[in-house]
Amino acid sequence: MADQAPILEKLDAGVSEILADWNIYTTLFAGILAAFAIYSLVSNKDPDVHPFLLARQSTASPIRQTGESATYRSLETPYGFPLRSGLNVKDPGAPKWTAGRRGDLRDIWKTAVRGALNEDGTTSGKQGKIYTVLGKNAVEHSLSQVTQEINVIGRHLQKAEVKTVAVCLTDSIELLASIFAGSFYGFKIVLVPHNLPAAILSSHLQNAKADALIAEVGSVDLSLVTKANKQISNVIWVAKYGNRHMDWHEVPKDAKENLDVTVWHELAEEGKNLAGFDVPEYDPTTPAPAVNTVWPSESQSGEFIDFKQENLVAAISALGSALPRTQRFNSSDLVLSIDSLSRSYPLCQIFNALFSNASIALNNSVAGENVDFALATKGVSPTVIIASSRTMSEYHDRVMKPHTGLISSLGRWVQARTLDAGNMPSKNFFSQLAQVGPTAELSLEKLRLLCISHRVDADASVRMTSEQLTDLRVYMGTRIVYALTGPGIAGAISQTNVFDYRDSSGPSHFGAPLSSTEVTLTGVSESQSDDYPEGQILVAGPAVVDGKATLSARGRIGTDNTLELSA
Amino acid sequence: MSIASPINLILLSLFVVLLYWHFRPKQPVTLPRGPPPVVFRTYTPKTLLEFNGVDGRPVFLAVRGRVFDVSPGRNFYGPGGPYENFAGRDASRGLAHQSFDEEMLTKDLSGPLDDLKDLDADQLENLQSWEERFSEKYLVVGKLVAEGDPEAPKS
Repeated sequence: MADQAPILEKLDAGVSEILADWNIYTTLFAGILAAFAIYSLVSNKDPDVHPFLLARQSTASPIRQTGESATYRSLETPYGFPLRSGLNVKDPGAPKWTAGRRGDLRDIWKTAVRGALNEDGTTSGKQGKIYTVLGKNAVEHSLSQVTQEINVIGRHLQKAEVKTVAVCLTDSIELLASIFAGSFYGFKIVLVPHNLPAAILSSHLQNAKADALIAEVGSVDLSLVTKANKQISNVIWVAKYGNRHMDWHEVPKDAKENLDVTVWHELAEEGKNLAGFDVPEYDPTTPAPAVNTVWPSESQSGEFIDFKQENLVAAISALGSALPRTQRFNSSDLVLSIDSLSRSYPLCQIFNALFSNASIALNNSVAGENVDFALATKGVSPTVIIASSRTMSEYHDRVMKPHTGLISSLGRWVQARTLDAGNMPSKNFFSQLAQVGPTAELSLEKLRLLCISHRVDADASVRMTSEQLTDLRVYMGTRIVYALTGPGIAGAISQTNVFDYRDSSGPSHFGAPLSSTEVTLTGVSESQSDDYPEGQILVAGPAVVDGKATLSARGRIGTDNTLELSA
Repeated sequence: MSIASPINLILLSLFVVLLYWHFRPKQPVTLPRGPPPVVFRTYTPKTLLEFNGVDGRPVFLAVRGRVFDVSPGRNFYGPGGPYENFAGRDASRGLAHQSFDEEMLTKDLSGPLDDLKDLDADQLENLQSWEERFSEKYLVVGKLVAEGDPEAPKS
């Protein structure tokens, strides 16, 4: 006791000596310290998703073949469970406990027209809308109006007994209506990218054996195309709003006499009274015809992909369920596609939006793999944007990066810390700081999700890096999913988790396979097959045409069981 | 009044520590790798024989050409279990007959596989239900072919 007293006394004396120096600066420092401590505690939130779910994003099969990796699958459909194959449509009146049907595109349109459901399963009557974006303006269409056009065009082509209809249009109502008309009225649709040279278009039509063509007026040299395609008996012109007053019935002189040339808006006008606003009745047990798309290849001629309805619905359903419940498309969303609908990822996402009763917006003038992002998003204020990796990486490199100043960088740094901790930064002072320069020209206040797709055979330079994705998250204040698409695979092969904000260096991974696909790497050398296998990507599942497709690209499975493309 | 007094320095260093703690780089979580996948192999009756569970080796048995890894059910299928005769063998006939006797096994290991042609409908149904149970519970790790089959691995 005796010898402890002096120590305590000394300590006491020391503390009072230190405290004696308390002055106005000390108070200031103490204030800042306390304020920061409180801020740090208050802003400390649980991450958006449990970190373990990001640490192992897909499941590996317990068995593999020699020379192959294990088969990787989404966490939703692990090894031993069936892959997701359809929309699980439950018809009204069907017993509650029965499994739903796989469904087809007709069910998607029917669901869109039915409108959103209330919590208790009754219809709320709230339909989505379709907007066509024309430059700075957006034109609104009601779904019943589109149903009417589906009926008119469907009946017209059904009466003409055509089997295969080539559709060569920009992203538009007419394009969507043609696809649904094909499903309801029983003809195959071939989506041909627009703006193709006449010779290539002509050979596409020959390959597809198209007996009808729906195209934009003035975009196709009819005499050249019909000369090479004697089988074409019907042409429907789609006139843009500006030039509807003109007469488009002229048939090229050298075209065969029985060529039936009609104009979409006139057909719609004439058939208005007959067609009605009701979704045509259909028998769900009869299969709906296929939808073909063209996969672009280097030779420009492209490769036809014969998507069966089963492939499409599996992909649409998997894209829907790949998003966690809170992030799914819903009736308050406006989904804008600035990527061409002749590509399967945007097409399936738009169908997913329709099936979720969201509103959609199509960009009539600029939509494709390589568009000016700022220009394409003018005119509407979407909550979800679907774009290609080329568009986004060029926007990032040309506009965002050069306009990032010191202030934005500071804001970005702070926001990136929040992302690191697993939280999406909310709109605050720092987010405004970050967005000061890079996205000044955009008006995307409501944007919440950006869906980016990357073609497996696209230029490696447009592959998004982790850093670019972080930039987009911070500067645009939106979550991102990043998907890998391949020829013969509806929707996507794999897609990143919407809550995966981890920023590793180098090109970003592509997340886990969707629940409608499974990924195996083939041609793996036995020495490395067990830890981080690298090989040719083999995709199988209901979303794949003919069940299985081997891609030309090589890939790797990362430590977190996500798919990466090899350099 | 000095700004660089000891108490101010203490508070300042506290602040720096707090700042670091708030903005410190957070390492993403990594999980340990699971066990490596088993390689699917082709067995012949002779190469299958060694997987009979003796000395802690895995227990395999074959049903109609599919080799199941029944090691998790070692108490039944391994040495000392009621089904121990099936370990490392083609169990199809035995399962169909509901019999665990030695005579159910194919004696000649280098001969052709049992074609099971003489089974009646009940026995085939029996076999079918066993096979379904195995497929649910156990992993198919390979297939069984006769000695000399073109698919058989060269030894």
